[in-house]
Amino acid sequence: MTTIPYKHQMAAHCESGTLTTMLNNSGLAITEPMLFGITNGIFFGYFHHSKSFAFPTFIVRSRPGEMRKIAERRLGAKFATATFRNPDKGMEALDRLLELNIAVANQVDFFYMDYLPEWERVHINVHFMTVIGKEGDDYIVSDSYFPRLAHLHKDSLRKARFAGGNMSPKGFIFHPLFVPEEIQYEKVIPKGIRKACYNMLKLPVPFIGVKGIRKFASRITEWPTLTRDTEHLSHEIMKINILLEDQGTGGAGFRYMYATFLQQAAEKLNRPEYHDFSKQMMEIGDNWRKFSLFAARIGKNRDLGPEKMKQLSEMLYELAGMEENFFKDLYQTV
Amino acid sequence: MKEKDSFVDCPEQQLILYVEKEDGTYGPVQTGSFITKNYINDFFEKRQRLEMSLKEQVRKKEISPIACYMTLEDLTPAETASRVGISVRKIKKHMRPEYFPKIKPAILEKYAEVFDIKVIQLMELYNG
Repeated sequence: MTTIPYKHQMAAHCESGTLTTMLNNSGLAITEPMLFGITNGIFFGYFHHSKSFAFPTFIVRSRPGEMRKIAERRLGAKFATATFRNPDKGMEALDRLLELNIAVANQVDFFYMDYLPEWERVHINVHFMTVIGKEGDDYIVSDSYFPRLAHLHKDSLRKARFAGGNMSPKGFIFHPLFVPEEIQYEKVIPKGIRKACYNMLKLPVPFIGVKGIRKFASRITEWPTLTRDTEHLSHEIMKINILLEDQGTGGAGFRYMYATFLQQAAEKLNRPEYHDFSKQMMEIGDNWRKFSLFAARIGKNRDLGPEKMKQLSEMLYELAGMEENFFKDLYQTV
Repeated sequence: MKEKDSFVDCPEQQLILYVEKEDGTYGPVQTGSFITKNYINDFFEKRQRLEMSLKEQVRKKEISPIACYMTLEDLTPAETASRVGISVRKIKKHMRPEYFPKIKPAILEKYAEVFDIKVIQLMELYNG
C-alpha cells in the first residue's frame, strides 16, 4: 500500500485542524479559525469533581466531535462515519478505505501517538488525526500537532482507536462524502457567533461559560487542600499553562484563534465592527496568557502560598468580567 | 500577542500559535512550546521524585504497583476500570498490596497496556 496524495499541514487544534485539512484537500478553501468560529468552538467549562479526571480541570472548547457535526450542518458537507465494537473489523475497514485511496480521520487516545514527545502524551480519548497510507506495519499519519507526516505502528494505532475510558473512541473514523465548493458566510458566521455567545452567557449550568470561569476563580483557592504535597500542587498549577497554551489551542485557550476568526469575519461580511471585537478578543487572550505564564512561574518556584492562590483567583475573576462584557456586546450584533 | 514575541526555540515540540503580524492581520505561526523550553527539566525532576516516592510505598507494602502507576498516569479508578474492562470495585481492591498477587495474568496484561509498560515491570516492582 502507498501514501495517498494529501497536503499535510500543522494546525492549532487537532479537531479543527483535521477537519480543515480534510476540507482543504477536498477542494474547499477554509481557514482553521473560520471553521472554529463557524462551529462555535469557543467555550469554557470547569470541573471540580469528576470520576474521569484525577484532579479539577477545565476545558476551553466545545464538546469534542461537535465541530464535525456542526460543520456538516452549516457548510452543507457530508461525512461518512463509523464506529466498531470489534477492533479487527475496525482495522480492516480502515485498510479497505485506504486501498480505495480515501484518507480517513480517526478519533484516538493521544497517549499512543508514539511520534510525539513522551512528556506530551497523556490518556485523552479525543485526539483526531488522519491516516493517509500504510507501509508495512506502519500507518502514515497526518497529525495537526506534528510538523510532518508520521509513522505509527499498527499495534499502537489499534490500541489508540480502541482504548477504553471516558469518551472512548470505539474505532471512530470519518471521511468526506460531499464537500461544497462555496460557503454561505453571511448565513453561517452569524449562527456560529450567536451560538458561541449563548454558550458562554446563557447555559443554565453553574460550571459552564462565564459562570464556569467564576467557578474556577472561586475553587482554585481550594486546590492546595486537594493535593498530596507542594510538588503535586506545583504540577497541577503548571498544568494550567499546558491546558491553555500547549495542548492545541492556538494560544490563550483558543482566544487568539477566535480573535482571528472575528477579523476574518469582518472581511467576509464587510462588518468593520468585528475588527474591534477581534482586537478586544486578542487582548482578552493576552490576559489569559498572563494568567497562564504566572501559573507556570509560581508553580516552578513552588511559590504557592495563600497570597499567590488568591492572585490566581483574582486574575480569573477579572477574566470572567472581561469575557462577560465581550460576549454580551458581541451577542448584540447577531 | 505580537508575532515578534511569539518565537520560542524548541524544535522538540512545535505548535501553532495565532498572533498579530506586522501588518496588523492575525494569522498562524509555527513555534516551539514555551513551557517545554523553560520548564521541562522541572517536570522530569518532579516526576522522578514522585516515581521514587511511589515505588518506595510499594516496597513498604503501603500501596500496590497498580496504585503506583495509576497515580503516575493521573488515572482515576473509574477511568482505569473502563480502560482495563473490570469493575471499579476490583480496581480499588487491586490498588491494595495484599490483592496484587491475586490479579489474573490476563488482567495484568491489560493494566500493563494501559500504563504502557511490561507485566514484568509490575511484578518486579511488587517483589522489590
